[in-house]
Amino acid sequence: MIAFQNVSKHYDNNIVLKDISFSVQKAEMAFITGPSGAGKSTILKLMYMEERPDEGDIVIGDFHLASLKASKIPFFRRGIGIVFQDFKLIDNLTVIDNVALSLRIRGVSEKEVKTLAFTALKKVHLRHKADNFPKSLSGGEQQRVVIARAIVAEPFLVLADEPTGNLDSNTALDIMKVFRGINISGTTVIIATHNRELFRYTGKRVLKLDGGNLIGEEVG
Amino acid sequence: MALEYSFRSAFQSLWREKWINMLSMFTVFSGLLIISLISFFLYNFEVIANRLPERFSIIVYLNEKLSGEEINNVIDTLKKRQDVLSLKYISKDEALKEIKKVLRDSSHILEGLSENPLSSSVEIKLKKDYVTSSAVRQISGEIRMMSGVEDVQSGERIAEAIHLFKRSLQNISIIILAIISSGVIFVSYSTVKILFFRRKEEIDILKLLGATKGFIRAPFIIEGSVIGLIGGGLAAAGILGFYFAVTYRLSVYIPLFKMLILPQEILILLPLTGIMLGIIGSAIAIGRLKP
Repeated sequence: MIAFQNVSKHYDNNIVLKDISFSVQKAEMAFITGPSGAGKSTILKLMYMEERPDEGDIVIGDFHLASLKASKIPFFRRGIGIVFQDFKLIDNLTVIDNVALSLRIRGVSEKEVKTLAFTALKKVHLRHKADNFPKSLSGGEQQRVVIARAIVAEPFLVLADEPTGNLDSNTALDIMKVFRGINISGTTVIIATHNRELFRYTGKRVLKLDGGNLIGEEVG
Repeated sequence: MALEYSFRSAFQSLWREKWINMLSMFTVFSGLLIISLISFFLYNFEVIANRLPERFSIIVYLNEKLSGEEINNVIDTLKKRQDVLSLKYISKDEALKEIKKVLRDSSHILEGLSENPLSSSVEIKLKKDYVTSSAVRQISGEIRMMSGVEDVQSGERIAEAIHLFKRSLQNISIIILAIISSGVIFVSYSTVKILFFRRKEEIDILKLLGATKGFIRAPFIIEGSVIGLIGGGLAAAGILGFYFAVTYRLSVYIPLFKMLILPQEILILLPLTGIMLGIIGSAIAIGRLKP
């Protein structure tokens, strides 16, 4: 369902990914790990099309990303939920409106928007914080809002870039439980992290990157 | 719905950034008020300039020895000309009466005269299109050649001045309107550009969530139109206030001001122009969005 085919990427003279090939099956949960600068975030950016590959192709579902027209990108992204380390919440919108944004972009009716957004917040145990503004929440709560926003439109794929990077270890484990729940419901989940604790004993596939090379795979 | 979100987002931003938006509205208001004041005066000048050809006339002095039948022949020939709008025969006696009327208290000047020294004449009004110096010169020359005509007074220079005045007014108005319109567009552009940069992060988030360019642009376009609409509406109120102040108050001292006309269309045109300029400014400021 997701396939990287001989993908390379460089910025000026700096090669960040070298001839990477791997695949992730539908409803699988996989981790991408490696030290800083290994190319983890670049792989995710290529998947949500913030970047395009210099060589090779990426196939996600029916989309061939190397040749995808710019006008089709928004519609492709609607099938993906993205979770960022720095949250990327809109400060002047309430929690419910941040979550609802994903639905409003898709043109969902206002009546449905409220119901679906509250359901997503319930899944991350933040229903009671719906009318708060993001700045009034803790880091862990903000990340759960981001997850609710990522899953509210029921995407087929959730990408998370260092989702626990700014959180303490207990909160990080709570967030991982949420991701496992999403995966159990049938959504493909790919998490990029340098924190080995997150995938230890999960039994999930871990792709290991170093210096832009895929150096191997292991089971967490 | 997406449209509902766009309107809500635009009005939230209008309120959140109220000071910069009020400043922009004020600038659009002042720009459009200046444009409308200039247009108002130009329009009235144009109305006056259009009436000037109606007042322009050529005087054809007839030979004194012409019989009544010959005078009628000259008048008939003149009437048949395609450039003549209307004409009026003024006999020697009527001319003298007219002079006496003009001289009023000084009419004693004429007392020493034993006979009427004035010639009978024909006053010709030309059609609007022929009130140019070259046309008047040619028409005068042709009439002067007619038998029975003693002399022709035409005032080519006045005709030329009217023509030049009208043309200059049109050119100046186009230049001024273009300069001020560009200014208003630039202000709308700058405001939206500032708002755009302030919301850059939000825009990037929207893109990553799958928002189309239209979805991202819509609130900014709505915001620009509202700024333009309010600025234009205020300018319409301003010009209306100015018009009443001038016609009702100042006309007491300067009666000429009573003649000024405010075309009602301007009151609808100003808010519409404001909206249009706001949209153009916003569209330029947002520019091409990268996916």
